[in-house]
Amino acid sequence: MRFLIVDDSSTMRRIIINTLNKLGYKDFHEAGNGREGVDRLATTPVDMVITDWNMPEMSGIDFIKAVRANEATRALPVLMVTTNAAEDDIKEALRAGVNNYVVKPFTPDTIKEKIQAALKA
Amino acid sequence: MTIPAEMLTDLMTSTEEVFETMMFKSLVRVPAVETASERKGAHVVATVAFAGHRRGLVAIHSSIDAARSIAGAMLGIAIEDLNDEMPDAMGEVANMVAGTFRNKLAAIEPASAIAVPTVTIGSDFSTKYMGAVRRARCPFQMEGQPIAVELILIGEEKAAA
Repeated sequence: MRFLIVDDSSTMRRIIINTLNKLGYKDFHEAGNGREGVDRLATTPVDMVITDWNMPEMSGIDFIKAVRANEATRALPVLMVTTNAAEDDIKEALRAGVNNYVVKPFTPDTIKEKIQAALKA
Repeated sequence: MTIPAEMLTDLMTSTEEVFETMMFKSLVRVPAVETASERKGAHVVATVAFAGHRRGLVAIHSSIDAARSIAGAMLGIAIEDLNDEMPDAMGEVANMVAGTFRNKLAAIEPASAIAVPTVTIGSDFSTKYMGAVRRARCPFQMEGQPIAVELILIGEEKAAA
């Protein structure tokens, strides 16, 4: 299973990759913001996107809207990993088209559970 | 006017949650102190500003050795193998602490928005803010190394509705 990890923090990309490695996943691509994520998806097919919310240039919300607006990526499962956990934040992310939502800080079990739920959605 | 004690409790709990979940490090609380102005001697300061219902900053203070220990634990890398990962890791710690704190406040008041982190590294520097500012520093011991989280609130406390 191929993942695209979109986060402006190289630390968080590495933490997510380490976590996915522990869960048995081995194929990752990375992008530093939503714009890079859109560009990467145009050239690299993946099976799931994991994205941050707060990023420079293009936010996670705008990135998800772009993913959903593109016929080629419209059905891609998208998991958002963010510190934004207010009720209004979650509603906004769901409106944008996120499949599931992980609030930082997180455990590997949480990521596993949310990936499985996003794949079933 | 001082910062409400329950707000500092939320900040300390947020910090402990981040360190325990992401780094498997337990923090030991040291009594909080009000800070009238600057503190010198901290070598790494990672800050995240927030604005909206409340305006201010959350800052994580640590020595460079403690910051490298935090970065190594977060990334699963031996400290001696770290290169330039530490500043970004400290920024992410500040982001998670500020975000968790903001979420706790959002349960009882309108949510504020947080900004991207800023990390400053140096041997002798201080921070000052103009205008009406309240500051409180919550120190911890992390495996024998001192770290602290500081809350800076700009403006006076809003009256209860």
